[in-house]
Amino acid sequence: MNDRTLDMLLSRVEKPARYIGSEWNMERKEVYDFRFALCFPDVYEIGMSHLGSRILYRVLNDMDGVYCERCYAPWTDMEQALRELNEPLFTLETKSPLKDFDVVGFSLLYEMCCTNVLTMLDLSGIPFRSADRDESCPLIVAGGPCTVNPEPIAEIMDAILIGDGEELEPELVACVRQAKRDGVSRRELLLRLSAIDGVYVPSLYRPVFENGRYVRMERLCEQAPEHPVRRVVRDLDHARYIGRQLVPHMQIVHDRVAVEVMRGCTRGCRFCQAGYIYRPVRERRKETLLDQTRDLVRCTGYDEVSLLSLSTGDYSELHELLPRIIDDMAEQKVSVSLPSLRIDSILKDDLEKMQTVRKGGLTFAPEAGTQRMRDVINKNVTEEDLLRAVTDAFTAGWCGVKLYFMIGLPTETDEDILGIAELARKVSNAFYRLPKDKRGSGFRVTVSVSTFVPKPWTAFQWCAQDRQEEIVRKQQLLKTALKGVRGAELHCHPSVLSVLEAVFSRGDRRLNGVLIDAYRRGCRFDSWAEHFKPDAWAEAFSENGLTMDEYAHRERAADEPLPWEIVDALVTPAYLLREWNKAQEARTTKDCRQGCNGCFGEHCEDYCRV
Amino acid sequence: MKIIAAFEKTKELSYTSHLDVQRTLQRAFRRANLPLAFSRGFNPHPKLSFATALATGYTSEGEWLEVELDKEITPEDFIEQVNAALPKGMRFVRAFVADDGFPTLSKMLVAARYLVTLYTDPPVSAQELLNAVRAIMDSEEVIVEKKTKSGIRPANIRPEIREAEAISASDRTAVVAVVGTLNAAGGLRAETFARALFERLSVNGRFTAHRTALCFEGSDKLPRLR
Ligand code: SF4
Ligand code: SF4
Repeated sequence: MNDRTLDMLLSRVEKPARYIGSEWNMERKEVYDFRFALCFPDVYEIGMSHLGSRILYRVLNDMDGVYCERCYAPWTDMEQALRELNEPLFTLETKSPLKDFDVVGFSLLYEMCCTNVLTMLDLSGIPFRSADRDESCPLIVAGGPCTVNPEPIAEIMDAILIGDGEELEPELVACVRQAKRDGVSRRELLLRLSAIDGVYVPSLYRPVFENGRYVRMERLCEQAPEHPVRRVVRDLDHARYIGRQLVPHMQIVHDRVAVEVMRGCTRGCRFCQAGYIYRPVRERRKETLLDQTRDLVRCTGYDEVSLLSLSTGDYSELHELLPRIIDDMAEQKVSVSLPSLRIDSILKDDLEKMQTVRKGGLTFAPEAGTQRMRDVINKNVTEEDLLRAVTDAFTAGWCGVKLYFMIGLPTETDEDILGIAELARKVSNAFYRLPKDKRGSGFRVTVSVSTFVPKPWTAFQWCAQDRQEEIVRKQQLLKTALKGVRGAELHCHPSVLSVLEAVFSRGDRRLNGVLIDAYRRGCRFDSWAEHFKPDAWAEAFSENGLTMDEYAHRERAADEPLPWEIVDALVTPAYLLREWNKAQEARTTKDCRQGCNGCFGEHCEDYCRV
Repeated sequence: MKIIAAFEKTKELSYTSHLDVQRTLQRAFRRANLPLAFSRGFNPHPKLSFATALATGYTSEGEWLEVELDKEITPEDFIEQVNAALPKGMRFVRAFVADDGFPTLSKMLVAARYLVTLYTDPPVSAQELLNAVRAIMDSEEVIVEKKTKSGIRPANIRPEIREAEAISASDRTAVVAVVGTLNAAGGLRAETFARALFERLSVNGRFTAHRTALCFEGSDKLPRLR
């Protein structure tokens, strides 16, 4: 794209800095024979914050002769400008159209970004369906947590990557590169790809539906694996990390150095997909983390570091690591934050230390209001834990706390909803019970409530989502109950979106048509409330003879074939079923750091010699 | 010690905002390991201030700023170290050490020079451009709709235009050099000037602006008006 066209586009949009590239640590290459477009189907500020994409950008660019560039979903004003000027969507590094690349790879972090994938293909002149593309098109692939159920995008993608990407993506690139040299057909390429562990080539399988329901998957070719197995990086300590992290000009959502402390979580909360699909837990050594932190701070110039993982509080050496990192960074006036502390892992000392650096927001996620409900979801946290932790925090000077809950959980009754308000009241009392000179002022307890979405590969993958009317009623109930709780503030996420999210997370291949229809009816950025078009979605479903109800609000029988089981996510369906049964009896399961619960079935020993 | 320095901003980064530039510079200073002086308080910030902001979308040959350092550094080292830590699109071109009592840049700022490029449809001839510029300079009043905090209202920008000269007109591209008043209280914006020109030319189009210099008064170390 020439400068003048670019200028014309940029001068028409509200936030041009989203499209300019040229960030510090951006990769510039002169010599390459293979081009990879790393695409993120959401805006720049969100995509640039994604840890996985940062790792892949580095891993791929470390390959000799491979140039990996980035492309984010254009905001609606840029989409309009591109259409008006009849220009293709372009990458940030060299401003090239996606059609010029060998591989176009999407990171799928949440279901609601799928229409943006279509926008990006559409603006690149690339047909939506794999079957409609020929050799002149790049190979279109997807990875990321969403792909543990690859079916809703199976007709769009040529290949789908399941699991950790840092070893898998280079293997994919090597394979495509070799195929390019050998001059093989697309069909042959897809066959070769299907032989890589963790790659699912949907066109080699055909789902069979009977009486309007998915019944089984047919393999169309002997060579294709029966079940593509999720890839796992075994040695995280030696795995490639972000390295020279990109430093944006405009502010992004997570605008700081991110250090991945560990991957996976052993807690086993039954609603939590991340908890299941990132198993087993793998830690980095604290020495490695110290080195990586220093390194990242030096090469980025950031003044804030975040220690990331699903539950950093569980990191086995946290209490040795934290003081060292904080001291180390304080010298350089760099602050340290831990975004995912667990109630029971906060120690008073750490709180005081963190406060000397910067007093960030304090958040806790009890997820449910009563002990019974917390036992059902296996959130092994007690009221005493929470109250002790917030009291410590209030004494240390914090005067605001945010509590996260879900409503619509299986077996939930009104008592559980009222329990949320009760818990907020106790937190509020814990603050006001402190002597005036020992507590801050302007107290706030924010109760943030989201609607439960049953996810595949969790203990709750069989259960029905509450209907919208029921969710609204429960929200109202909570609102009333919270009246009179000093300092309480309620934030409810809109429940309409969570229905669609529930549909797509447990969807099957028929949803590809729905997705394309919804896109044609103007659906974009569905996770942004102001863009969400419920009517257009409803039309797209009825056009395809399907209902959202069937996917979201129907309980699956334990022996019903599930479309996502074409993938082997390592956690076995048998284990999940055991967990589902225990949940209904409100029986808990212990953290598997204290002993294996057998979630990988016959693979336990192989993957987890803890 | 205080370093006063000027950087250029080229097309790669022209679409960054003033806030983006501040962030980028602060991070570049840290990467360059500069001995920055920090403000006191809970959220320490490096002491960095600009003569003025550059509007998003413009390029520039000399944006001036001042920065406090805890240790001595030569202007040459400053330029070299920071430039090695700056992304393509920003580069320091001049620097000097300010003596004690050197006034702040924003107080000394008086004017700015721009090259304003109009992309017109249909094209305008050199004569038409000349006439339009002359018409502006000969008027007592040049009224342009101006965005202010209290909404859009007409304003006379003529007093802020010090000089204007038609440079070239060819291939639907017309270039005008303009010098406008600019100080802490405000001044001429290239954008309003471009709109006044479009109006005089009776054409529509897009424009770009390139700041060739900031002009100061009160020090011979800084670029002056004449
Ligand atoms: S603690 Fe629970 S909710 Fe958090 S990541 Fe682990 S399993 Fe998921
Ligand atoms: S196999 Fe055992 S140790 Fe490994 S994640 Fe599963 S329960 Fe935990």
